[in-house]
Amino acid sequence: MNKFIWIFLLFVAMVAQSAMARPLRVVASYPYIGDLVEKIGGRNVHVVSLARGDYNPHVIIPRPSFIARVRNADLLVISGAQLEIGWMPPILRQANNPSVQPGEKGFLDLSRYVTLIDVPASVSREQGDIHPEGNPHFYLDPYNIPLLAKAITEKLCEIDPSDASYYRSNLDEFVRQWNEKLKEWKEKMRPLERVAVVEYHKIYDYFLRRFGLPIVGTVEPLPGIPPTSKHIEHLESILESHRAQFILQDVYNPDDASRHLANKLGMKLIVLPHDVGAVRGVDDIFSLFDEIVRRLTQ
Amino acid sequence: MRKLCCIAIFLALLPARTYSQEDTQAKSGSPFSQAKFVPDISLILDCSFVHRNLSNEQFDNLSIPGVARWMEPLHAQKGFNLNYGEITFYSVVDPYFELFAVCHLSEHAFHLEEAYWMTKKFPLGFQLKAGKFLSSFGRINDQHCHYWDFADQPLVYGAMFGEDGLSEIGARLTWVAPLDMYALLGMEVLQGDNEGSFGRQGLQDSQGTVSVSSIDGPSLFVAYLKSSVDVDDASVLVGVSGARGTTRRDDGFSSGDQHGQAFSGETEIYGCDVTVKYPLDAIRYVSVQAEYLRRNIDGTLYFREVGPPVTRPASTEHLSGFYAQAVVKADLRWRMGLRCDMLRTDEGVMKELGLGGAENLPRISGMIEFNPTEFSRIRLQYNYDRTRYDFADGVPIKITMHELILQVNLAIGAHGAHPF
Repeated sequence: MNKFIWIFLLFVAMVAQSAMARPLRVVASYPYIGDLVEKIGGRNVHVVSLARGDYNPHVIIPRPSFIARVRNADLLVISGAQLEIGWMPPILRQANNPSVQPGEKGFLDLSRYVTLIDVPASVSREQGDIHPEGNPHFYLDPYNIPLLAKAITEKLCEIDPSDASYYRSNLDEFVRQWNEKLKEWKEKMRPLERVAVVEYHKIYDYFLRRFGLPIVGTVEPLPGIPPTSKHIEHLESILESHRAQFILQDVYNPDDASRHLANKLGMKLIVLPHDVGAVRGVDDIFSLFDEIVRRLTQ
Repeated sequence: MRKLCCIAIFLALLPARTYSQEDTQAKSGSPFSQAKFVPDISLILDCSFVHRNLSNEQFDNLSIPGVARWMEPLHAQKGFNLNYGEITFYSVVDPYFELFAVCHLSEHAFHLEEAYWMTKKFPLGFQLKAGKFLSSFGRINDQHCHYWDFADQPLVYGAMFGEDGLSEIGARLTWVAPLDMYALLGMEVLQGDNEGSFGRQGLQDSQGTVSVSSIDGPSLFVAYLKSSVDVDDASVLVGVSGARGTTRRDDGFSSGDQHGQAFSGETEIYGCDVTVKYPLDAIRYVSVQAEYLRRNIDGTLYFREVGPPVTRPASTEHLSGFYAQAVVKADLRWRMGLRCDMLRTDEGVMKELGLGGAENLPRISGMIEFNPTEFSRIRLQYNYDRTRYDFADGVPIKITMHELILQVNLAIGAHGAHPF
């Protein structure tokens, strides 16, 4: 009988051991988050990003395979501010994983760690696809990235306190490299200060605001509503008084309206990546901003 | 005069009083306000304009042989239709439960289409749900009408489960397997009152020669396995489902109707489905979906000719059908789709009706959809329908029906995202 108890205890110990030793399974809603978690978590994490970086982050097909990923996750990190509202809730509900539900230890909403801009005083769907909590594309402000990295670090330390010093040293190293990069990007962006631009969708606001590029209009008449000829005419009249140099286009929306405007008014159309994996060569958070700065300044 | 004075004084005091009230309220607010706990509430409205090559009366007299006539609540009348209003409520209850309810409103009626709770904290990949809900049998049974890819449901669903689908009171346990691949196992224990295929009411003949007792507990059991793999960018979802329950039908038999008949038996329904969704780019996709259902009913038919009831034992009835559809999202706002429906009727039933033998009854539908935003949809659908017979003159006549539906579906409020 005693033998059986020993064997059982050994088995429990083995299961516990394997549970402790295996890397933390982290699911990230978008690739930029996955990359940040990998940079902080290093060898201790196994990260899967759900959405593709070159797709519209608002409209992601909630593939059943996402359910399996979330089912097996120890930690789910979302961008938040309702960017995932159109696809994440059914995934979470069907995944039957209590430890990654909102409010639990295994859930992290990054939008809680930054200040959102353009928080509407009142909301109505007459205004298009607006986000009541503010503009959700906060991760395109490079000065927000260290805050997000810190939030991820604290979360990893909370879940896996035994290796807290490892995560903190990874964060220190990341922030050191990031601060160097920030200096470089700031330097390169300086000549563009006060250069007016037009965006297709209000996706680069955080970046443009940070580096002092005023936004004089959007190609979309309202968030999520495709351009109409009437709106384009209106935009043209605005652009006659405000000289804007660039039209900034994301990689997933049709660019015919932007192209038309650029040709007609002699502006430069620049396609910018918005996430890791949006364009070739952007394979981590550093190269994402390198590429944005490069495309704007070249 | 005194009355008038009183009113005048009252009116004079009124503004001052309201002012002071507002003043204090603004300072303190209600200490017991629960306004921030309002659940997600949404209203969906569905309207349509229908044209058919048949009059409403002709259309009402048509039926599909061997299929319990289901009252199609959608697009029933030529001209304008108010199909439904749907009010949904959703919120987490506490850390342990979620609650979801859908109230289905028609012009003069209200019914609770779904109202159930779900667990949030079950371990090991399990989840328990109970209340009234749409069974997850098959691919589309648990989808609400406004989420359908076409204006109406596939024929085979209407034929087997009626207009509301398999919506039952009961409990469901699901388990998501801890695999890299999505695999869901589900089991449902349901009361089994569905009029299309099931039922548990007792049968009674006034002379006492026939007596079948009611089943008081749950009488319908459903199980399914759903699994999905990603092939490159395509998501492939397959499912197999089974339902087994008692069947009771009583068409005026217990009430003593001269031509009344009744049925008591067991019904099994099997289904398999496959869905492939392939994104062409960030906006466009192609989605192909097909589903096959087969129903076997075994049991005893009771009917009255002249005199005492007659029993026809061991009658077995088969009904099967499938649909296959392809939907393309062609750009941000436009979708179009084609659907083929087929029903195969039972040989015995057809012979009884003087129709030779088992027959394949087809319907073909095409739709084009304009979605100004995700909250509004305008859809034009054409149905070519060769499934219905006119039995009015004693001789069944097969009718060809052409149907054109212009549907508008709008949603307001906080409506949750839809699953795959």
